[in-house]
Amino acid sequence: MPRILIVKSILLLIIIALMSVAGVQLYKHRHFRMPVVAGPGVTKVEKLSDYTKGLKGTVADTNVFHLEGKEEGGKIFIIANTHSNEPAAILTALIFIENAVVDKGTLIIIPEFNNSAGRNTRPGDGYPLYYEIQTDWGSKKFRMGNRDASPLDQWPDPDVYVHYPDKQLLSYLDVRNTNRTWPGRPDGPLMEQVTYGAMQIMRSEKVDIAVDIHGAETMFPVTNCIVAPEKSIRIATMTSLTVKAREKFDNHVELSPSGFRGLSHREIGDHSDTLPFLLEAPLPFLDQPTGPKTVDLLLDGKDPFLLSLSKKKKLFVPYDETGWPMEKRVGQHCSVILEIIRQFSRKFPDKAIKLRNVPRYADVVKNGVGHYYRDPDKSDKAKVYFN
Amino acid sequence: MYFQIGIILTIMVMAYALAKWKKLSIELSMLSAAVGGGIAGAFVSTPPIDQLARHLVEGAFTYLDVILVFSTATIFMAIVRESGGVNYVVRGTIKYFYNLRIIALILLMIIVLIPGALTGAGSVSLLVVGAPVALALGYLGIAKKRVAAILFIVAGLSAAAPPVNIWAMILSAGTAIPYVGFELPLGIPVLLLGTFTVLFLGWRRERKMELEEVLKEMPEVPAGMSWWRVFLPFLVFFGLVVASRLWPFSIPMLGLPLQFAIAALVALLVSPKRIKILVLSRDTMKRLLPLLATMIVVGMLQQIMTATGVRGLLSFAVISTPLILLFILLAVIIPVSEGVLTYGAAAIIGIPLIWFLDSIGLHATVAIAGLSLLWPLGDGLPPTALIGRLSVMVSEYKDSYWTFLKATWVPWVIITIVGILMVIFSARLEFLVRWSM
Repeated sequence: MPRILIVKSILLLIIIALMSVAGVQLYKHRHFRMPVVAGPGVTKVEKLSDYTKGLKGTVADTNVFHLEGKEEGGKIFIIANTHSNEPAAILTALIFIENAVVDKGTLIIIPEFNNSAGRNTRPGDGYPLYYEIQTDWGSKKFRMGNRDASPLDQWPDPDVYVHYPDKQLLSYLDVRNTNRTWPGRPDGPLMEQVTYGAMQIMRSEKVDIAVDIHGAETMFPVTNCIVAPEKSIRIATMTSLTVKAREKFDNHVELSPSGFRGLSHREIGDHSDTLPFLLEAPLPFLDQPTGPKTVDLLLDGKDPFLLSLSKKKKLFVPYDETGWPMEKRVGQHCSVILEIIRQFSRKFPDKAIKLRNVPRYADVVKNGVGHYYRDPDKSDKAKVYFN
Repeated sequence: MYFQIGIILTIMVMAYALAKWKKLSIELSMLSAAVGGGIAGAFVSTPPIDQLARHLVEGAFTYLDVILVFSTATIFMAIVRESGGVNYVVRGTIKYFYNLRIIALILLMIIVLIPGALTGAGSVSLLVVGAPVALALGYLGIAKKRVAAILFIVAGLSAAAPPVNIWAMILSAGTAIPYVGFELPLGIPVLLLGTFTVLFLGWRRERKMELEEVLKEMPEVPAGMSWWRVFLPFLVFFGLVVASRLWPFSIPMLGLPLQFAIAALVALLVSPKRIKILVLSRDTMKRLLPLLATMIVVGMLQQIMTATGVRGLLSFAVISTPLILLFILLAVIIPVSEGVLTYGAAAIIGIPLIWFLDSIGLHATVAIAGLSLLWPLGDGLPPTALIGRLSVMVSEYKDSYWTFLKATWVPWVIITIVGILMVIFSARLEFLVRWSM
């Protein structure tokens, strides 16, 4: 056999071996099942396809948890994993699902909003496939997803995404980004159907407040903040001032730009009576100038490059040797959501929402995020949900 | 950590140099750098050894969408050429505009600008109209080296031209700046710089021939070829692209690969001569293979650089540079980053750069437009040299690549100066954004 043929055969075998190993890992990642334990406050669990039929049987369908109080009141809708590479969102949502008890009003939560993105990876960006959170009973494993839905579930992409209904031109990738496809439509691309389903929840359930949880780079000006349109800005401002005064953390307010379409904080308010809020916590893992993209960086947010840039005043958040640990980010989200509820209830007493058993910032920082998760192996199987 | 990443970077550079020394191709040399960096990183678990195969394979898929566009667009153009359409267009252009040199040059420039402006890819411009335009320029008496240079610069500008500019879209998406208001900040410099380039490089006539003589020398056109047979496939392609803009909510989302495939099918059906499509497709893909391999390996390299922290180190170095020096270095940093990472450069260096420039009071939209003029220049630089290699390929320029690149230096410098000035004076040019909206 000629030498070149031998070399090519060996290279082919190596490639097949590499692809097999990687293929199995990526297959397992896509099909990984993460349990969510319905806590004492959960009264029913629906699917998003119950609100828009087109999602039925697709990967984009996802669980919708309802926590209804005995007393009638206002309604709040929490959306997490709009971007599945911003993990503080799902970690916060699970704290609410597994612990909250609602006395008055209703809490609706979608912990894995872009379920397809949660099963996607980010080629070129070197993410880990999973991360684990330490709990009182062991560790709970989470899948690291991507910002955009998987092309396996929605494809092809257009050469440029024309936003519905405003016709604003957006990056072609944004057709798979559920924070650009609001308000969506029932017969549009799959991710527009996802946001349309959420809009239908808000319209049919007459939701008062919507909170979309995110994470953002420390070098991004819109980080560590509440983004709100004109109609929500007063409650957002009061929330920001209160958490600063009472809980000693910063969370400034950013006005939602009216010329930038497709975002939850803009379209929800423009297309329904709901008051939208988008929460951003710093997420150093997403910054470009960081060291290796490891699980440690994802969870503790410590990075020497960012520390150096912080000293040169090139970051938009305070940053020191302690980084931005997950406890701080999740704790902030918990407190800000609770404070938004409190401010809303003060402003609209007839639509007040009362809930308990959700930790605030200081509790989460002290006890850790995992302290608030239930062991699915020791829980009633009927209360353990998978997407 | 600086030391650790520095060692990994050194090993990557050494692996690349060793492969080049062993006379391996650019693609294999980059692959060596990626594998070398990945193995070096695995010693300190960045990435963990059991994840190395996954990182390499996952990275290989980074530019799958671009690869599909390249493949279908090239097959489409190969069918048009095989059917005799290219020769027919060139003959027509020469026949009508041979004695109106300035108009002919500007028309040819606009023909190259359109596909790239609509798709955001200069490569599509070259794959669709590069060959006939190169022939037309040649018959206008322009040397092959200058033809390749014109095609490279104008195709690059077409990628930067509105309405679709992928660098600006990546930056807008990554910095949460709406992709609006780019029409004038991008359109005006692209048209001015394109006109300057085509006139500067195309003004000198290397040889003068009589029109009749030229027409006699040109390749024969197959019997039965007509304007409608040439234009119908293009009409179908651009019709699909334009229709998806005009009626985005009632037309199914086809995507560029399918749009090119449909246009290719139309070209095949209206061809006056029988085309062996399987043989043609196989030969075309063979010709395209080095380019596709480059895209695959760049993705792998990008993934390994990120997983090891090398990418972060490079990004950190750029952001840490003092402002004045940074403005000067943009002339090097932006094209070189494009040459190494193609579109990935916009995310790695562009996003933090725009945040930084925005925070010091510059206007982000105009600054993005300015940087967008510099990025395409990098498509002529190794290791990828995507547009440069395509320009050489479609113009059939056979001499040294560097000689071709040297021929571009005057427009290159002018574009660089305009791009950097747009960044520096972006706040003063903000009116261009307002006027666009």
